Amino acid sequence: MLFFGTIGMLALTIGLIVFIIFHQRKVIRYQLRLQRMEQDQQKLLLNASIRLQEEERQRIAADLHDDAGPLLATARLYLNENLVNLDKTTQLQSIYNAKSIIDDTIQLIRNISHSLMPPTLKNFGLESAVNDLFQKISGSGSMNASSRFHDYRERLQAENELIIFRVIQELVNNILKHSNASFIHLTQNTSGNKFFIRLHHDGRGITQNDFIKLNKSNVGLGLKNIQSRLKVLHGKIFFEKDMSQTYYKVTIELVKEEEDKLQEQE
Amino acid sequence: MLNSISYFSGVLPILAFILFYKRNKVGGYWVIFLYSILSFLTDTGYWNPWIKAHSFYLFSGFTIVEYSLFAYFLYLSLLERKFKILLVICSALFYLIALFTIVAKNRESFDSLSASLEASLLILYSILYLYEQIKDPAILFVYQSKKFWIVIAFLLYLSSTLFLFIYATTFSSQQHKSYWGINNIFDIIKNLLFVVSFGMKKNKQPEQSLENFYSEES
Repeated sequence: MLFFGTIGMLALTIGLIVFIIFHQRKVIRYQLRLQRMEQDQQKLLLNASIRLQEEERQRIAADLHDDAGPLLATARLYLNENLVNLDKTTQLQSIYNAKSIIDDTIQLIRNISHSLMPPTLKNFGLESAVNDLFQKISGSGSMNASSRFHDYRERLQAENELIIFRVIQELVNNILKHSNASFIHLTQNTSGNKFFIRLHHDGRGITQNDFIKLNKSNVGLGLKNIQSRLKVLHGKIFFEKDMSQTYYKVTIELVKEEEDKLQEQE
Repeated sequence: MLNSISYFSGVLPILAFILFYKRNKVGGYWVIFLYSILSFLTDTGYWNPWIKAHSFYLFSGFTIVEYSLFAYFLYLSLLERKFKILLVICSALFYLIALFTIVAKNRESFDSLSASLEASLLILYSILYLYEQIKDPAILFVYQSKKFWIVIAFLLYLSSTLFLFIYATTFSSQQHKSYWGINNIFDIIKNLLFVVSFGMKKNKQPEQSLENFYSEES
């Protein structure tokens, strides 16, 4: 009994030690795999953000090259003609033409600059910028868009407002492009230290599972961009179908304290 | 022969602690150092004929001291409050039983009840400690911790001697001589593991990152 008891206890102890060591190695391998998956995901997000930046640059370059360039070249031609042609009436006519072309160019550059940073957002905040965007969409007649901010007395930090606005723009763009919806409705409210923005639409949408799948794949550049932007604010996004199964709902959740912290860091 | 090796192996952890004092001055390792000294002195005292004649008191007293020191070391090492409370409650029960067996004057040469109870309780605390260690995701490699090797030393020594202590009172002197070798062998292993622990650098996590560790390994 003594012999078997001692051997049994020893076997149990050695078994326990071996189990602990192997279990720990297994856990470490699992953590490592998770870490790698996270890194891959971040790489995807980074690539998406770089690609989007490049696309934006190309768009601005194309706008400047294709629109502003020829306009300015034409204005130059008119002014050149002014130097060659000494006839007063022709000179006035060509100056007038050059002026109107320069006005067009100014408008074009203003449009480009507004697309980079909407002045309404900068001057009047997120609420006004979103209302402005939704009025433009409604004005086009293709869709009924409305927004309502319930609790936005204090503006968020300007950079954060821009990030949220870009996310809303991206979501609205997706709805316009893919959903075939007849309306979009945006609401904002707060609960405790949380800040929520909800978008409803009645078209075809995606759920959280689709969002996760698209984020892991190489497609869905816009969604990855949303994800990477929200990551900066430590925000969350949820895609779901309404309880009534009629509407799709997107909820953006931000922690206000995070916003304050970011402000303090700066 | 084995008896002598076991006796002299008791000096090794004392020397290791002194030699690597800087590595061991924090973290409660002095408790194990103190235990090693007391253990060595108890073994030395056993050579004295007068003390040998009163060996019941010597062993019973040493069981209480050994339990107190190991339990205190584990109390310092445990993280969860509920485990610490359990240790304190079990310790109170142990002291009651151990004192009762001394006062009851059932003076056999070895206090089997206290010693086996001590071994069982310390095994339990050691398992709780190891459970905490594998549960904590911040601990990357448990075997790089000095405390891990000390707890393993307890665990091996106590689990191998538990049945020996339970049956100790039933042994004839011939059986006692032949079986006591088990105690000596695991006493040597325990002392060697203490030396390993005292010689290790402070709970150092790997310098290389996890990723490098596994990519190099594979």
